[in-house]
Amino acid sequence: MDFDVEVKLAVYRSFAETGRRPSPAEIAARVGSDVESVLAAYARLRAQRVLVLEPDGASIRMAPPFSGVPTQHVVESGGVSYFANCAWDALGIPAALGAPGTVRSRCEQSGTPLELAVGRDGPQPSDWLFHCLVPASRWWDDIVFT
Amino acid sequence: MLFFRSEETVRAWCEGRGLPLRPRVTMDQLWGLASTWYSTRLQPDARRPKPDEMRSIFAGLGLTGDFWDPQADRFG
Repeated sequence: MDFDVEVKLAVYRSFAETGRRPSPAEIAARVGSDVESVLAAYARLRAQRVLVLEPDGASIRMAPPFSGVPTQHVVESGGVSYFANCAWDALGIPAALGAPGTVRSRCEQSGTPLELAVGRDGPQPSDWLFHCLVPASRWWDDIVFT
Repeated sequence: MLFFRSEETVRAWCEGRGLPLRPRVTMDQLWGLASTWYSTRLQPDARRPKPDEMRSIFAGLGLTGDFWDPQADRFG
């Protein structure tokens, strides 16, 4: 398997298992390589828009739908708690895991709490709405803002 | 990309910040987006949709217009 794919899978499986971002050393151990090679792969995966990195080039900010930092969008599934990057990604985590989960977030205007059960086939009936400010052609201009 | 309790709260949020009101997406549509984007993400051959695929995904969910066009240079 291509090394970058190995690194990508190791990152995603680590997020899926722990709900937290892995360190480069953890990924190096998973793929049987060294930190320098992992960081080089991170840079290539960033260029492909697979990962979003912090300015240090080593800490994972996003491995969509997973967030490497705490956010207002929390997903619980299988006894693990995850942070999602946004509302879209909050539903994306149960989809990626292929497992049911509970999304907890809020209405951005009123602060009303959202608790949404998401099964393998989708969310429970809900009249909540999703709103995206940034047009699709500009999502990656500033993906953290998007 | 945020959640809102109702149409009224989306409008109030945009108006209060002088921001444009964009298309509102239902939870069922959002699940369509999320599951299409991410259901294979933990698999070796996973990849992001290409622009033509994105248009097809959006259109299949009833999300049409320049806002949803990944290569548009203007927006509705």
